[in-house]
Amino acid sequence: MVLPNSKKVILSRVYLVYFGMLVFALMIIGKMFYIRYKEGPALLAKAQKQEIKVFSLKADRGNILSARDNLLATSVPEFEIRMDVANNHISNELFNSKVDSLSLQLASIFPERSAAYYERILKHARAKKNRYLLIHRRVSYVQLKQLRTFPIFRRGKNRGGLIVIQKTTRRLPFGQLAARTIGYENKKEHLYVGLEGAYSHVLTGIDGKQIRRKINGNQWIPIHDDNEIMPQNGKDIVTTLDMNLQDVAENALLKQMINHEAEMGCAVLMQVKTGDIKAIANLRYDKKSGFYSESYNMAIGEKYEPGSTFKLASVISGLEDHKFKLSDTVSVKKGYVVYYGRTLHDAHVIGNGMITIRQAFEHSSNVGISKVIQKAYKDNPLKFIAHLYAMDLNKPLGLKIAGEAAPNIKSPKNKKYWYRTSLPWMSVGYGLEITPLQLLTFYNAVANNGVEVKPRFVTAVVNGGQIVKKFGVQVRNPQIAPLSVIQKVQSLLVGVVLQGTAQNLKNKHFQIAGKTGTAKISVGGKYIPGAYNASFVGYFPADDPQYSCIVVINKPKQGYYGSGVAAPVFKEIADKVYATSLALHVKPQQIAENNTVPLAVNATWYPDLKKIYKDFGVKTSGGPLAETWTVTGDKKGKVVFYSKTFAKNLVPNVKGMTAKDAVYLLENMGIATDVQGRGVVYSQSLKPGMPLRKGQKIIIRLTNL
Amino acid sequence: MTIFSREIKVKGDRVIWAVVFILTVLSFLAVYSSTGTLAYKYHGGNVAYYMIKHGIILLAGLLIMYLAHLLKYTYFSRIFQILFYIAVPLLLLTLLFGLNLNDARRALPLPFHLSFETSDFAKLTLTVYLARVLTKREEELKDFNKVLLYLMLPVLVVCGLIFPANFSTAALIFVTSLVLIYIGRVKFSYILSIIGLSVLLLGFALGILLMMPAGKQARLNTWKTRIEQFKSGDSRDNYQVEQSKIAIASGGILGKMPGKSTQRNFLPHPYSDFIFAIIVEEYGLLGGTVVVLLYLILLFRAVRIVTKVPNNFGAYLAIGLSFSLVFQALINMAVAVHLLPVTGQPLPLVSMGGTSIWFTSLSIGILLSVSRDLESKETKETEQPA
Repeated sequence: MVLPNSKKVILSRVYLVYFGMLVFALMIIGKMFYIRYKEGPALLAKAQKQEIKVFSLKADRGNILSARDNLLATSVPEFEIRMDVANNHISNELFNSKVDSLSLQLASIFPERSAAYYERILKHARAKKNRYLLIHRRVSYVQLKQLRTFPIFRRGKNRGGLIVIQKTTRRLPFGQLAARTIGYENKKEHLYVGLEGAYSHVLTGIDGKQIRRKINGNQWIPIHDDNEIMPQNGKDIVTTLDMNLQDVAENALLKQMINHEAEMGCAVLMQVKTGDIKAIANLRYDKKSGFYSESYNMAIGEKYEPGSTFKLASVISGLEDHKFKLSDTVSVKKGYVVYYGRTLHDAHVIGNGMITIRQAFEHSSNVGISKVIQKAYKDNPLKFIAHLYAMDLNKPLGLKIAGEAAPNIKSPKNKKYWYRTSLPWMSVGYGLEITPLQLLTFYNAVANNGVEVKPRFVTAVVNGGQIVKKFGVQVRNPQIAPLSVIQKVQSLLVGVVLQGTAQNLKNKHFQIAGKTGTAKISVGGKYIPGAYNASFVGYFPADDPQYSCIVVINKPKQGYYGSGVAAPVFKEIADKVYATSLALHVKPQQIAENNTVPLAVNATWYPDLKKIYKDFGVKTSGGPLAETWTVTGDKKGKVVFYSKTFAKNLVPNVKGMTAKDAVYLLENMGIATDVQGRGVVYSQSLKPGMPLRKGQKIIIRLTNL
Repeated sequence: MTIFSREIKVKGDRVIWAVVFILTVLSFLAVYSSTGTLAYKYHGGNVAYYMIKHGIILLAGLLIMYLAHLLKYTYFSRIFQILFYIAVPLLLLTLLFGLNLNDARRALPLPFHLSFETSDFAKLTLTVYLARVLTKREEELKDFNKVLLYLMLPVLVVCGLIFPANFSTAALIFVTSLVLIYIGRVKFSYILSIIGLSVLLLGFALGILLMMPAGKQARLNTWKTRIEQFKSGDSRDNYQVEQSKIAIASGGILGKMPGKSTQRNFLPHPYSDFIFAIIVEEYGLLGGTVVVLLYLILLFRAVRIVTKVPNNFGAYLAIGLSFSLVFQALINMAVAVHLLPVTGQPLPLVSMGGTSIWFTSLSIGILLSVSRDLESKETKETEQPA
């Protein structure tokens, strides 16, 4: 084959290129062998020494928030402080001359130990050449900053032997408040308590991972950005709890429990329409410390014999089956009734002994209620029990929070446990068990005109400020009993307060409806003399129920009646809700129409004041355009705004101002403010008009108007 | 091979097929062994995910190769002219809106977690396009101005669009194109002028880059540090190179055996940039040498095609595509043995990476198509006497 000339040129050039590539390839092969045989030993020696390790990048746990976005549980850094007492750079002279002042300083920030103690352990550790002496666990960041200024420690890690180990810890900014319901989680011991446990899967983030290699000394650096799994922080949960109400519930309960030296108690506040738990207080006496603490979730975990509060279910059942009318009479003359050899007592004889069923309920007659139920269902107790079951009283609520006790309401079908006395006793709340929260859910359904909603603790899951999941209102039972029956028993519950056992809850502002309970406590089938569960469960305002609430106090001394022990706690909570929750108040317009328009005499924040007048439908005129302080005056029946200014360098007069406004004004001027009391300012520790120095402190005292 | 060919009628150069087959198997094994850290990062240690994904990509690559080799190679001339005109705007799109990896926009997103490196596409289409121009305008190319217009302009546009994000690929394409133009019988003095002109342009471009605000100079800094580190032997790239060398040194003659690499834990990107080091570690100096030789054989077979093919277009196609592939392979291996600074070029057909493998497969398919055409002519000739 004869090649054309063009082909010859192409080929010669191709061969040249191929030759070049051949050389390149041979260089690569040559270099490979060079690396193996020339550089190999040094490289392999180096390889022997290199180390890699997988490091975990900790993901933050999500926060638990209140309904108003207060932090209820959050993770904060915490430090463990140790000391390399035998550090080479700490000479004997240095140690001996500074050990006493270091000890003194340590004792000043960790006062639970004395300076002498610290001096002793430091000297001992020095003698023993301890390089890892524990100084203190759980040290806050602020404390750590102080620590770094102490003698010897201020020389740092390498020269002062200060070893700081960072950890994270869970903090409850509200301390005891709802602590048990907020809960905690201990994976090692498989303890999943409260919301922390229930929503652990949401709160827990996913730890990241990173492969690092060791470089000189003990430093580890990441091999490459590529090898990194970023940690994913946990999500936040928004709870239904309102810490203002929780504060009231917890304190009211505590006060009453101390007064009555009770063993255990709980108070739960629930929103009628939604089932939102606004407050849940659980206190138990701790024999060791002598204090009450949130150590057991009684409201969820403790089933008890409810006693009289359960009569509501009995009456609903009878009314629904048309077994009796509320106006029917029943004789309670003897103050007791005997069923098959067992006697059921009333606390005292009510009225003249012939009372209506309404009176029997309002005055909580065991004899009266048990007699009408026994008469109605003696031949067919199953029908009565079926009513209780239909109202879900035998079913647990199915809460996400672990440890809910299942109610125990036996059936005649179970012959082994069913006695002839069971029916009358159960009709007045004995021989059956239910938790406080389950009973509250039932009362809440009555308040909600028969619609039973499930208690709700968490409304949303939030990730980085964005709502990622919402939890709606869950209806357990759309109608637990016919509305006509519900309305009848609602009137009974109002009657309890108006003319029955809880007349101490009567007040002129709003109507409470509810039922007292004073139940004997049995252990192993025997009722213990003098041991009672005092309770009150109900809702308010009776004409338009917004909140339901239960208070149960276990084994009170000095009085044991539900009305005397539990009802006052209920009242304190209800009062607070009424005072703070606008939803319960009369419409603002009504006040505006019926009363004279109040003027703001003291300096008030203009936008706030303007809004108040607007909400009340008061016509205003004038006013500064910017956000400033203002007072109002009356000009021909119209409210007029006048702006109010404060001299920059003088202490302002804050008397008569609200706490919020006063603090805002003072802090803005650079004065540290200490607030005492509630209400409006009536005195201030720095005189108005005095020259002002930065960083000054002022105490303002408040009083209710 | 006979059984193989009987079943799915494989035609074309059997040696190239064999080389491809060996490299594919090697790729599967080496990627499997080196994706440990990646699998650990994204799929909780599930190495099978990468194995299956890579296996599917390799099989798809073989399919592309098979289909391409069935087509008569002269058709590619026209098809790739059109594809080239598509490739250029795609490069611009990538530069402006592409996926951002290491401060550079190099790829467009595709479904199934694949990304489309448009520079691979441009490289292939440019090579075929140049082969076409060299053939069609053979006479005109005696004029330097025509050389500039028909050959240099497309090359500079492609390289100019790639170089801000990926300097080494732009350089690779530039060199490959020059080699092809050289083989295409363009006067050597013209080529020297082109190089001089390009150096001037590059200097001009760098000058503009340097005047940009410091924040936009991220890529420039990457190059600077890389070149500095290669000279001084310092820091991160040097860490990679050192780990690569340790891998090569610890492999010995026969290697640690498949799957036994320890250096994969120390080497960043053991599945792409430094896969050659892992191969040497596991298969020894012997295995490494075989891989180098496999690429040389591939180029040699292409040269053999050039000697036989009657059509200049076929010759340019065969040498252009094979040179491009083998040159890139040698550069990758040269980085692993520290002959060149770290560039980030994958080892063609072996490194993990979806679209890169497919474009390599396509170019080999075209190469096979040329050889298949040759075979059919040979058989016709031998049949004639009878």
